[in-house]
Amino acid sequence: MTSQQMTSPQMKSPQSLQKVLGIGLTVGVSLLWMVALSGAVYVSHNKLNELFDSALTETAQRIMPLAIVEIYNREDPKQSQQIMSFAAHNERLVYLVRNELGQILLQSHNADPTIFNQTLLEGFSSSATHRFYGVSAVQNTLHIEVAEPLTQRRAATIEMAISLLWPLVLLIPLCFIGSWVFVRYSLRYVIAYRDEIESRGSGNLSPVRVKGLPTEVLTIAKSVNNLLDRLRRALESERAFTANSAHELRTPIATALAQIQRLQQEVSAEPIKDKLVKIETTIKGLSSLSEKLMQLAKAEGGGLLSTERHDLISLLRLIIDDTQRSVSARTITLTLPPNGEFTSIIDPDAFAILIRNLLDNAIKHGINNQPVEIHFSSEGVLRIVNAAKVIPAETLVQLRQRFVRSNISVQGLGLGLAIADAIVTGVGATMTFNSPATGRADGFEVSVDFSVIDN
Amino acid sequence: MRILLVEDAEGLGEVIQDQISDEGHALDWVQSLSHAETSLHTTHYDLILLDLMLPDGSGIDLLQKIRQSGKTTPVIILTARDQISDRIKGLNAGADDYLVKPFDLSELSARIAAVSRRYAGNPNPIRQIGTLEVDLTRHFISRDGVSINLTAREWALFEAFIQRPGTVLSKSQLEDHLYAFGAEIESNTIEVYISRLRKKLGKDYFETVRGLGYSMRRP
Repeated sequence: MTSQQMTSPQMKSPQSLQKVLGIGLTVGVSLLWMVALSGAVYVSHNKLNELFDSALTETAQRIMPLAIVEIYNREDPKQSQQIMSFAAHNERLVYLVRNELGQILLQSHNADPTIFNQTLLEGFSSSATHRFYGVSAVQNTLHIEVAEPLTQRRAATIEMAISLLWPLVLLIPLCFIGSWVFVRYSLRYVIAYRDEIESRGSGNLSPVRVKGLPTEVLTIAKSVNNLLDRLRRALESERAFTANSAHELRTPIATALAQIQRLQQEVSAEPIKDKLVKIETTIKGLSSLSEKLMQLAKAEGGGLLSTERHDLISLLRLIIDDTQRSVSARTITLTLPPNGEFTSIIDPDAFAILIRNLLDNAIKHGINNQPVEIHFSSEGVLRIVNAAKVIPAETLVQLRQRFVRSNISVQGLGLGLAIADAIVTGVGATMTFNSPATGRADGFEVSVDFSVIDN
Repeated sequence: MRILLVEDAEGLGEVIQDQISDEGHALDWVQSLSHAETSLHTTHYDLILLDLMLPDGSGIDLLQKIRQSGKTTPVIILTARDQISDRIKGLNAGADDYLVKPFDLSELSARIAAVSRRYAGNPNPIRQIGTLEVDLTRHFISRDGVSINLTAREWALFEAFIQRPGTVLSKSQLEDHLYAFGAEIESNTIEVYISRLRKKLGKDYFETVRGLGYSMRRP
């Protein structure tokens, strides 16, 4: 799957488990705290009401006898009297003592008769602003009603709720940080597992080994290792099959070629010698075709990346040295960076097939006696340039296709650049064709950037 | 040169044997690692041609054994494995050259000559010996621009002296150089060839060291 597909807008972007758990736990704890707080406030509010009601009852019960004595000791018991306060204070509980006709006989100094019930009620009652308790005495001739403002009860409840809410302000960040740290600590082996997978090259098929994985992830890790093992064995058997096929094909071809060459040495008659030369050419063609097909099979199969890094410059030297033995007539100029090392995870065999095919193409299609130039930069860019007539842009585009040749007068299978393209695509490098070559009026240039493989 | 060929492919082995023998070298051909080890214990070889995939194991193992035993005999690997990793493995194990099948017989001959020259300490194929100009690649000798023709056996004997300049070579060493196992050798064969070489190249080039053998000198 390409990175482009991974970031497609249709797909939900992956979320951090740590972040999700941190936010989830914090929201969960906060909600629980709020529910607990609501319960606590509700219960406390009821208890406070009971307490306040009890205080109202007690106040009425205590004041009533004193009020009776006060009223009956007057000269005119029907006269209204307001009790004066000894000192200024905020009177929260107020009361009225009325006779059976509702006439006010006694009232607390701050009592406002309008807030009280107009009818003489027994027991508890409430208005929009006050809570009342009323009781009668002296054969229902005197009635006392004590009032308490509801704001006081509400204030008590609100203060209690606020005092319970305050810890939540601290609890939310503490819970988020705590859960983040705890989740990170709990997921440390999962994070190590992720880092191990992230840091390894894409060609590294060895088992991923991380200790202490939680059971939920351990099953996945085991499955991943099993898959890696199966993939590694499949690639190894593919390689072994290619190597054995190469042996089984090349040995009889080598025998036939050698026999024909011996016959040519022994035969002097020209017609027979000509036929032997044709047979030799056919065998060499067959050999070349079988080799190219095996290379194409490898290029399109797996195993183009290695588990280890290899120095491409020393490999390039070895390949060029090998090629120069068989194409001594053609000069190959090799330009390498002075400090001379560029390592990559490309499989050395795949790299060799790529270089041989590009070089073979440059030698076959280049103008005779003109050198093939090979440059490898310290940034990992390979350029192979050969002298040639300028190739039209529309032909350049087709060169990556199999069995396509820009110059049909040259013997070739038209597979070289297709094999090179398959390898370059398989390893994640980039290859560009230029004609005319950079800085020249003619020529063909192939440029391969190996630096992008690791990215 | 006395060459050991380790190759299990019947047809290919036969052709290589014919080619090498025609060039005047003595070639022993074995088809398994065990036979190769036996031959190496009993005979001194100037060069080994080694296939890698043999019926009783890998040629690389034999090569490692040869190098571990301290022998510096040049080895050319002949194999169908063309992967660069196999080549690196072979060269790291101590091979002097690596030839991938199928190959031209002429290329094989050229590689044998190049490796043996490198082994003798002088990779230059053109040598001036006294008044003789020798081209080891083309098997060509001339004096003052006039070519001197040698037969394959005469050339092989001459080459044995060039590879060991100044060294006294015994008769049996020279016989080993010219003939493979089982070849019928007349008792005076070496004397006959030395005599022919003296006649063609000049009598002063070869010295008889009585009781020891022959050596080549620069007149």
